[in-house]
Amino acid sequence: MNTRAKIFVVDNFIWFINVGLYLLFIILVPTGFLTLHNVEFILYVSSMIGFLVLGEALALITGGMDLSLAENAGLSAVVGGFIIGVMASGLPGWVGVIIVLATGTALGAVNGILVGKLRYNPFLATLGTFLVFDWGTFWIRRGAIVRLPASFLAPGSATVGGVHIAIFIFLAMAILLHFILRYTRFGVRTYASGDNPRAATMMGINVGNTLFWIYTLCGLLAGFSGLMYVGYIGVVTSLIAQNQVFNAMAGAVLGGISLRGGRGSIMGALGGVVLLGILDAGLTMLNVSPEIRGVLTGLVLLVAVMINMVTARLRDRILMPSSGQD
Amino acid sequence: MVNTLENGIPLLAAERIEKWYGKIHALRGIDVVIHPGEALALIGDNGAGKSTFAKIVAGVEQKTSGRLLWKGKEVDISSIKQARNLGIETVYQEQALAPQLTVMQNIFLGRTETKFGILGILDNKKMAEAARRVLDELGLAVGVNQEVRFCSGGEQQGVAVARAILFKANLVILDEPTRALSTRGVERILQFIRSMKNEGIAVILISHVFPQIFPITDRFMFMSRGQVIAEKRREETSPEDLSRMIIQKTA
Ligand SMILES: Nc1ncnc2c1ncn2[C@@H]1O[C@H](COP(=O)(O)OP(=O)(O)O)[C@@H](O)[C@H]1O
Ligand SMILES: [Mg+2]
Repeated sequence: MNTRAKIFVVDNFIWFINVGLYLLFIILVPTGFLTLHNVEFILYVSSMIGFLVLGEALALITGGMDLSLAENAGLSAVVGGFIIGVMASGLPGWVGVIIVLATGTALGAVNGILVGKLRYNPFLATLGTFLVFDWGTFWIRRGAIVRLPASFLAPGSATVGGVHIAIFIFLAMAILLHFILRYTRFGVRTYASGDNPRAATMMGINVGNTLFWIYTLCGLLAGFSGLMYVGYIGVVTSLIAQNQVFNAMAGAVLGGISLRGGRGSIMGALGGVVLLGILDAGLTMLNVSPEIRGVLTGLVLLVAVMINMVTARLRDRILMPSSGQD
Repeated sequence: MVNTLENGIPLLAAERIEKWYGKIHALRGIDVVIHPGEALALIGDNGAGKSTFAKIVAGVEQKTSGRLLWKGKEVDISSIKQARNLGIETVYQEQALAPQLTVMQNIFLGRTETKFGILGILDNKKMAEAARRVLDELGLAVGVNQEVRFCSGGEQQGVAVARAILFKANLVILDEPTRALSTRGVERILQFIRSMKNEGIAVILISHVFPQIFPITDRFMFMSRGQVIAEKRREETSPEDLSRMIIQKTA
């Protein structure tokens, strides 16, 4: 195998695991795992947490993290649902959609200001906003908001030719982010800020500004996630996406994103999303109880961390030039 | 290739530069001039103030008093950014590199070539070609897409030097460039310095192993306790002569 092919295998290892896991469940669940309908369902359910994984991936690549991501999704959904369903129930549903996305973005910008401009430690900044968003949600509304216009629920529930549009929205977002990170100046700044912020600063990159935009983008992704949850459940509750941040982080790490920053890809994160989806669907169809499912997910994460260490070492060995050392 | 600007005005003239770090008098009024394409070596024992002077020129530290003239005009260099705008680049002792980014991305760090205006789409083809050209000029065989963490110490300095050449620096400061390098690495640094001089770039070299840099240096300034105590052109001296001087003056 030549170097490129080897690197391709190492970098996309998660997808090989996904295929293997999928085949395993086909054997274990002879009825139904193979159907297109099931694949569609896995992707649909994955899109909710998927947006959070993408956001977490971005924050991790900059060497930070966003603990508030899932609670941002929940609060944004409640703000949108409250305005559209309670305060101003005459408004068209799409206005509610915009409100959810705008709220998510604004809440993300708060993290962006804390981390990027005021130089808060990302863990502490987003721990604080995590608490604010979490309790803020209950403060606005305890319980469910049920009277919601169909168009408000559409992004997370409508289908086209039997396929949920949520899947398309999610994949479009993943492709867009992949493109931004790989092919734009902003992408290079993002990786450089995570890899060596001091060097990036010395070379004239405004690291604080880059972080601000990344956390703001995380907020937008949280808004999308909130919309998907709302469409899936059909009502707005104060428990939407609660505590999903750990799964989001697990998804990003499963996808090979390093906590040290400067490394990882959206394709990898996407692989992590799909892995979580297959695992959850497969175990559910095997009638594994939620408790055991949770335990297994944790164990899979631990195995993934080990695999990531091994593949990182393999990658280094493949890329290490044999000459030129002095 | 030393060539003076019009009317013999030096590229940089530092006059009566003083620096206090709290109660430490690190520079006691030194005068330094340098011309385009000239390699000036600051030599002397540890604590003489060589790095302090370099940092003042690079915008990392602020002088306490004195004047800096750039092409004859007084300038204020109060940040790294300001220094860079004048065309002053520093090859740092701890390299200012992002180890997980590629050689090309590092050369263009903070100065990425893009197309399509505000979209900021990377022009990788243009950057790769330009990077390859400079690396070849410097005799560096590293791939433009190789991650910098796989480069040797000498190659990493090469990346920093490539930046200076590509972005048309006027003055490059190298602080202990030969430190922790093998014979081959040192040979390579000397080649980098020759390339920069050929480009008309002025080079300030800081080293206390001056025999290594002797062949490519035009002028030596010998510093001790914050002062310049001797100055010699290469033609007027020899490595042995310089060693003898250091032993006498510091004894
Ligand atoms: N950041 C600093 N704070 C306080 N003292 C410093 C600092 N940097 C250098 N010095 C002192 O200034 C003097 C000159 O140091 P330096 O310029 O590093 O010398 P050299 O590079 O010639 O070895 C030394 O006495 C050193 O201890
Ligand atoms: Mg020094």
